[in-house]
Amino acid sequence: MKSTDVVVSADKVTKVYQTGQVQSRALRGVTLDIQSGEFTAIVGPSGSGKTTLLNLMGALDVATEGTLTVLGSELSALSKRKRSDLRLHSLGFVFQAYNLVPVLTARENVEFVLELQGIKLDRRRRAQAILDQVGLTEFADRRPNQLSGGQQQRVAVARAVASNPRLVLADEPTANLDGENAEMLLELMKDLNQKQDITFVFSTHDPRVVAYARRVLTLVDGRIEADDTKHTLAK
Amino acid sequence: MTQSVSIRYAGRSLFRHVRRTILSIVGIGVACGLSLFMVAFVRGEGTMMLNAAAGSGIGHIRIVPAGWLNARDNNLRIHQWQDMLIALRRHPDVTIAAPHMRIEGLLAMGTRSIGVELVGVDPNTEQAVNRLVRTVTEGRYLLPGEQGSTVIGQAIAERLAVTVDDQLMVTATDQHGQIAAAMLRIVGLIEIGSRDLESTLCHVAMDDVAQLSGQSDAGDLTLMVRTPKQLDRVQAALKTRLPVTVSVVTWKDIMPEMASAVKIDETWTRLIVSIIMIVAFLGIASAQLAAVLERRREFAVLSALGMKHGRLVYVMVVEGLILGLLGGITGLILGSAAAYYVATEGIDFTKFYGEGDWSMSNMLIDPVFYGEFGWWLIPLAFVLALSATLLSSIYPAWYASRTDPATALRVDN
Repeated sequence: MKSTDVVVSADKVTKVYQTGQVQSRALRGVTLDIQSGEFTAIVGPSGSGKTTLLNLMGALDVATEGTLTVLGSELSALSKRKRSDLRLHSLGFVFQAYNLVPVLTARENVEFVLELQGIKLDRRRRAQAILDQVGLTEFADRRPNQLSGGQQQRVAVARAVASNPRLVLADEPTANLDGENAEMLLELMKDLNQKQDITFVFSTHDPRVVAYARRVLTLVDGRIEADDTKHTLAK
Repeated sequence: MTQSVSIRYAGRSLFRHVRRTILSIVGIGVACGLSLFMVAFVRGEGTMMLNAAAGSGIGHIRIVPAGWLNARDNNLRIHQWQDMLIALRRHPDVTIAAPHMRIEGLLAMGTRSIGVELVGVDPNTEQAVNRLVRTVTEGRYLLPGEQGSTVIGQAIAERLAVTVDDQLMVTATDQHGQIAAAMLRIVGLIEIGSRDLESTLCHVAMDDVAQLSGQSDAGDLTLMVRTPKQLDRVQAALKTRLPVTVSVVTWKDIMPEMASAVKIDETWTRLIVSIIMIVAFLGIASAQLAAVLERRREFAVLSALGMKHGRLVYVMVVEGLILGLLGGITGLILGSAAAYYVATEGIDFTKFYGEGDWSMSNMLIDPVFYGEFGWWLIPLAFVLALSATLLSSIYPAWYASRTDPATALRVDN
């Protein structure tokens, strides 16, 4: 049974970047709630604030104004260390450019997160089990440069879910993938969403990704222009 | 037990740029090797000075009458010295104990004369304590119980135009200020290679000095010890055993100018080693910082995944540690090879300064300087290399730990 509690709650969130004398307003009073178990896409043109919103939800950055609560914690009230703990234990990240550690194998990339969590026993077996789950059993000992883009992104997903997070944030996860690999990745994410009740929020330009989403938020100039909560699943 | 992924990450990261890492290792190795060589050399020099002092008749340690060190008065004597000598010869730290009596005198042959310090010796022990009289060029050394004989330096013999079996007239002032005289037959001549030392060498039997001075007590007891590098400990141990009427002094106390020269050399060596290691440290820090800047995005991602600053610093320190270990091994190979050469072959300073008088402050210095080679090179190599690499990791590690994930990811996008 899926829980329906609020995972992310944003109230008039504004983010302003200051570069020298120049101020740029990336988000302008964003208000939204994301429920547990959602599979949400954030769409919008480049510069609309998608990545900024994901960074704020991921406790990588703090809002200039407004309040943002993630998994019950008001982020601006948390110290850097507490935000780091939140990321480590409750959040997962998937990046557009995969961003795997190049000198570690696929298994070690996953195992690293478990080690950061302080898990000492059975780490290797657990990492292997997650790789099995994402269909990379035989690629566990390969380094990222020995894997295709799709395989690397699946390792990135495995790494993101290794810590049993409640929320996974993915920044344009299919941007560097071809159609077939993009579909495989989306199926994997959907599977994890449905079977493990992990909430997924991802930014995208890709209509195939949008088609998978059950909710689509459209950002334009840092504002939510549309919130299509009745989005029909194409698949 | 599962091996830490952090350690694997640190180790493999070093070999992303193999050439840079090898250059860093070679840099540390060369700096470390050079430092080891210098330390080996200066330690050897210290040992040589110690041996030169001890072997020139000064001994490692001397028991002298209280007040002698400041007054340097040969009329001061050690009372009941025989009992003390027996006790010292039984002491576990002492290998040789040789008594001396000294008196200023005038040697004369016909119209020629020369002022010398007559040293009354025990022929049984003197050659063991004084390498200058170990080889007699002409004739022989004094025999136990022999009186009225003397062994003199070649330079004295030339000044007085005498040779073996000639009789010398010796005059001296006794303890009451009266002139005393005696005839001494030359039984041996000693050529050392230093005119200065040969001009001061005049050994006679202790009984002869006793007769001339009117005092039968010894002026000093010269000791060779089992562990010359622990002189301070032995000195302290002997002080507790001996009466307050005597002082226990080391060769450094007797020849402070030589001890200072060794100390100055050691200080310079430390300074040069520090400069070498600082240059190496800056080079490594620069290379490490470049590595951190290249991996800024990677650190941002790891930070996004929840990696704490402490873990990031740990990774960088492990990298520095590995670099230090490899640099230490390289330095040990280079440094110990150089140290071994200088310890076995030595450096012949006559090639630089020519043949000549290698004596200083009544000490005969060997012109071939030998370094010291030993197990101490191993810990020193790793202490130098690891401290340089660990210190050089601090700033890059701190810089890496300050990486703001959102900024780094945004900028790099």
